[in-house]
Amino acid sequence: MHWSEARDLVRKWREDNARKSQELVEIWESTLKDKVHKLGDEQFQVLEQVCIGAIDCHRIDVAEYCLKKLTSQFKDSSRILLLSAMEFEAVEMYDDAIEILDAMIKRDETNPAPRKRKIAILRSRGRTIEAIKALTDYLKRFAIDQEAWQELCDLYLIEQEYGKAAFCMEELILHNPHNHLFHERLAEIRYTQGGFDNLESARSYYCQALKLNRNNMRALFGLYLTAYSIATSQKCVSAKKKEAHSLMSWAMKRISQRYKETAADKSQIDALEGLMGSLQLGSNSNL
Amino acid sequence: MATTYHKTITAVGLIFLFHAAYSAAQHRSFLRLTEQEFTSLPVDVIVQGIVSLFLTMYGVMYIAGDFKEIRATEELQSKTWETQRNLPSFYCFNHRGRLLRSYS
Repeated sequence: MHWSEARDLVRKWREDNARKSQELVEIWESTLKDKVHKLGDEQFQVLEQVCIGAIDCHRIDVAEYCLKKLTSQFKDSSRILLLSAMEFEAVEMYDDAIEILDAMIKRDETNPAPRKRKIAILRSRGRTIEAIKALTDYLKRFAIDQEAWQELCDLYLIEQEYGKAAFCMEELILHNPHNHLFHERLAEIRYTQGGFDNLESARSYYCQALKLNRNNMRALFGLYLTAYSIATSQKCVSAKKKEAHSLMSWAMKRISQRYKETAADKSQIDALEGLMGSLQLGSNSNL
Repeated sequence: MATTYHKTITAVGLIFLFHAAYSAAQHRSFLRLTEQEFTSLPVDVIVQGIVSLFLTMYGVMYIAGDFKEIRATEELQSKTWETQRNLPSFYCFNHRGRLLRSYS
């Protein structure tokens, strides 16, 4: 691979925020390491990215190398300190990491990054409840941090606090009303909660997700299952039953249409039909 | 995409535009010298100015790059949950990745 191709690929991963740590380290070692000076000012961003990727793969040697290069350029930067704290985290020397992070917070109270790392450390240590508490405190100060809301949602889901997780997702939807993924996620949480009212709200959010992106397969399947559960629920009045049935047939039609567009051979479509049959049985037993 | 064709069009348009401006200035100084009253510019200068303006606009539109979709959802269509759920500032490093180091 040519170094400019590697640069473009790495840049794409950085902008999309993909966690491709192993591939990143491989590209670094095979191509970018010798050419990094050709990247101009972008090289420092790449070095930081590779450093995090290397820590993620537990390649401490690579991380050390990147960190040394970065330190020689930026002596007293907080981002460098953050990287060295991450390195301590990777070798599970959490106390040393926390020491660095505390010093950083003391130096600059408005910097959210070290606070977030401290919460990540709590999560690494398996102290989810403490992490949730720290994160809610953090969100009181930095209420527009979307990443933090999303992390809080994940943590609540680990603890099976679906109602609170749904609240975090609603917050994220307020920040990004056009992102179909958040609508889909909230619908999934509501569907997991169960109960007639939650199913109704799951249905609306699945519909909104599909309105924003017609090709969201997961939302189509979700809508199908939700509509099925609504239709077979005892609380359902007949008018709503009819509506649920029409939603079901619409979702089914869209799913099979999408499969026909992309399926290579007929066996995949047959597999889909079998799957739909078993999905109905599966959701029946849940009711 | 910016092709040589569109670059040429822009360059020609700009040159014509400057030429039209220069002609207008020349016309004014000619009027001053011959002590005539200024009513309006000659038709050919006006036409040249307008045509070259549109020519330049057409060329610049192609040079400036591709248009972006105006609908807000369009950009998010291709996003997947795989990248959306990934939160770089909350990475945890105590996962099984360290045991998969055999490739190194």
